[in-house]
Amino acid sequence: MKFEIERASLLKSLSHVQSVVERRNTIPILSNVLIEAAGGKVAMTATDLDMSIVESVAADVGQDGATTTPAQTLYDIVRKLPDGSQIELAEEADGRLLVRAGRSQFHLPCLDRQDFPITDEGDLPSRFDIDAPALRRLIQKTRFAVSTEETRYYLNGIYLHTAEVDGVAVLRAVATDGHRLAQVDMPLPDGAAGIPGVIVPRKVVNELFRLIEDLDGPIAVSLSDDKIRVEFGETVLSSKLIDGTFPDYQRVIPEGNDKVLSVTAKDLIEAIDRVATVSTEKSRAVKIAVEKAKAVLSANSAENASATEELSVEYDAESLEVGFNSKYLIDILNECEGENAQFWLADAVSPTIVRDGDDEGALYVLMPMRV
Amino acid sequence: MSDIRRLPDDLVSRIAAGEVIERPGAAVKELVENAIDAGATTIDVRLDEGGRDGIWVTDDGRGMDPGELTLAVERHATSKLPTGDLTHIETLGFRGEAFPSIGSVSRMTITSRTAGADQAWAVTVDGAQVAAPIPAALAAGTRVEVRDLFHAVPARLKFLKQPRTEFGHAADAIKRVAMAFPHIAFSVADGERTAFRYSAGTGDLFAARLARLGQVMGREFADNALVVDAERDGVRLTGYAGVPTLNRRNAQAQYLFVNGRPVRDRLLLGAVRGAYQDLLARDRHPMLALFLEIGPEWVDVNVHPTKAEVRFRDAAMVRGLIVGALRHALAEAGHRASTTASVAVLGAARPGVYPGGFGGGGYPTGGGGAQRALAAATEFQSPQGFSEGPPTPFANSNLAPAARLAEEHIAPDEAHPLGAARAQLHATYIVAETSDGMIIVDQHAAHERLVHERIKAQMAATGIARQLLLSPVVVDLPESDAALLAARAGEFEELGLVMEAFGPGAVVVREVPALLGDVDVNGLIRDMADDLRELDEALALKDRLAEVCATLACHSSVRAGRLLNGPEMNALLREMEVTPNAGQCSHGRPTYVELKRADIERLFGRR
Repeated sequence: MKFEIERASLLKSLSHVQSVVERRNTIPILSNVLIEAAGGKVAMTATDLDMSIVESVAADVGQDGATTTPAQTLYDIVRKLPDGSQIELAEEADGRLLVRAGRSQFHLPCLDRQDFPITDEGDLPSRFDIDAPALRRLIQKTRFAVSTEETRYYLNGIYLHTAEVDGVAVLRAVATDGHRLAQVDMPLPDGAAGIPGVIVPRKVVNELFRLIEDLDGPIAVSLSDDKIRVEFGETVLSSKLIDGTFPDYQRVIPEGNDKVLSVTAKDLIEAIDRVATVSTEKSRAVKIAVEKAKAVLSANSAENASATEELSVEYDAESLEVGFNSKYLIDILNECEGENAQFWLADAVSPTIVRDGDDEGALYVLMPMRV
Repeated sequence: MSDIRRLPDDLVSRIAAGEVIERPGAAVKELVENAIDAGATTIDVRLDEGGRDGIWVTDDGRGMDPGELTLAVERHATSKLPTGDLTHIETLGFRGEAFPSIGSVSRMTITSRTAGADQAWAVTVDGAQVAAPIPAALAAGTRVEVRDLFHAVPARLKFLKQPRTEFGHAADAIKRVAMAFPHIAFSVADGERTAFRYSAGTGDLFAARLARLGQVMGREFADNALVVDAERDGVRLTGYAGVPTLNRRNAQAQYLFVNGRPVRDRLLLGAVRGAYQDLLARDRHPMLALFLEIGPEWVDVNVHPTKAEVRFRDAAMVRGLIVGALRHALAEAGHRASTTASVAVLGAARPGVYPGGFGGGGYPTGGGGAQRALAAATEFQSPQGFSEGPPTPFANSNLAPAARLAEEHIAPDEAHPLGAARAQLHATYIVAETSDGMIIVDQHAAHERLVHERIKAQMAATGIARQLLLSPVVVDLPESDAALLAARAGEFEELGLVMEAFGPGAVVVREVPALLGDVDVNGLIRDMADDLRELDEALALKDRLAEVCATLACHSSVRAGRLLNGPEMNALLREMEVTPNAGQCSHGRPTYVELKRADIERLFGRR
């Protein structure tokens, strides 16, 4: 194998694939990236056995071939090479990989490509296209609520499925950690009707979000009951899905909350942030006391510090006081794009609904705290 | 014809004996307890070949006359249940099983002489055969001789361990009894030599007991034990508890006695765990000896063949008493840490031997530097200012390898047991001079403990904030576990966990402590159920809360490597003096060690 490639394009592809590689591995070859050169293209593959990513990039291939080499090291080398360099990669007679650019030369150890695990996803029956910004929105507005608690593995991802709102089919993403829940809808993309409900693991969600951060075009999503494949440009990301049943989240979304509080999201975030400063506890709690057209935020600490801040709000129901984990509140409000956030309250111990004034399709449920 | 038949009497006896006498040590224990019940003040025990060949137990108790002797070897014959009421057991024995049980599996001779009788009588039991009493020679008291134990029970004989091991078991049994009766003298010998001899204790019960505990559990324990003395509703708990820094890998060194009877009871062990919680790492165990005096009607000792377990009528009260008494004793001890560490320090501190002799050769100051450091710390006089920057050991022949301070000269006095800070070493350890020695404080460990205690106090004052769960978590459990948990739901609510029974075999959790964050509710509940079942105390929940507190404490406390000035160091010492449990970090390691002046003098051969 031998090819020459421009640094920028190699770096971009390597940065995409190397982040899939776990930093510490018990199986040595999983630290490696598989490099395959053929027909004027170089394909790079990385995997952690659950998820894998393949990205192809054009190169001046002198001799076809394939090998594997430590992904992190190669990435670091390419990163540190001067911008605009032309990089030559070649398999050497002693089985090592030569990396040469200008006057720098590196010899990297290789492992046999035959040992590199290639996951064969087979045929994934459901397939639809979705625009990158729409997919970004689904992920961004829900991923903060994904649970990190490993024993409830079925909450360690975003639940992607179809639903119906007022007779209109939507594609819906839901995430929850048992304390709060995020639910975001979008119009059902063509071909997405009848897809299975799947739980996409947190790592996949985060990788995907990173990969499509500045993408505009359509993204092809293929699904089966236990696998997902996402394709865009020259990149293919595929992964196992979480094998579990997402709980019946509809039950925890209250219906009868009728006290509506309207507030400027940005002002509220800043006020919460300020007030919570005095709280030393790990779960910084804030209390919100609402009355007509006014909300008073307050927090205090066991060391006798306290803080209050008054906010003008739109509110026209009976007075109410309710406590929340300030981090949870800020997480939700951060995702509110519009000027206004709406709180649909019931009482101090029932779930509260938060809606984005400008995004009808997003809904958050937050459980209060007892302070 | 029926297949069911009645077993012969001697077989019945041997089966019964099997339950009580499982090894020589058990026979020894029964015999020693008999001697104690007979009012002995001196008990001598000898075992040959670990008790397999022969056991001799001699006491100076009240003795038996020939008639009593014959009766004593019959099953269920006893002098000890005068009222015939099993709910009023005030002696160690009560079943009347010891002599017949031992007799049925050995060749036993009991020789006894009552006080005032003109001669002794002896009765011999061989298996099921009882011979008539014959005259014998003995001073007042009783001697029981047991030969060829288990000769009639080959199966048991086969499973006996090495003589040394069996002797060890017997010695342990006697030690336990000896701890409970400090006013009785004990001696134990094997075929060749006396293994140990405890003289009869003098003085009041506490003094005698401490001396005896020191003999049995080691000097170290006696030096580091705190007095426990508490009473509630007529139940009295006395004894000694080791400071947390004196800990062991297992709970072997925890001796618990109920009315003088050694027991190993999960309730008692659990209460001990609960009391020492967050003073000790989970896998370390304190040393202690506790004696519970409780009205015989409040405890059932007749639940276990060898009486190793007991049952309390009001278990919650007993647990509360033990936890309360231990906590109180530990809190009173406050900052006291084990002297064990300083003993080790003494061992390590040897006069420096450098090439070229003392004070010469490669090091300009040699061992003198260390000497001078100690001298400077103990006989500090002139104010010298606090030297900044990293110390340079041995670089300057006049300066000790320490940053000295004297911004404010505080004289060590009795009111400040941790003394006055004199220097900081390696930006990590504070050296303080006390009225009768010096102490070295690990600044991070000490401050971490202080912050930990403060956080705990705050948590207790403000209550634990609870996060409500979006959907309650239902945890399926064995029915008994679910009932155990549900019964203590009120207690858990105070700790921030709200749960209730959910049908017979499940509990439902509705609120969790907010500071645990995204917690594995299922795992937590299961751990709590395990702890409740094993130790009668839901340690898992407290452990996790404590862990969070400890992490928090660790992050907000002064680290090693931070230079402290005089007032800062003194403030730390003063706060340690008034903070409970400041003597050890959350894992039972000491936060400071103390060197008595006498120890220092010994180092230099002044004593």
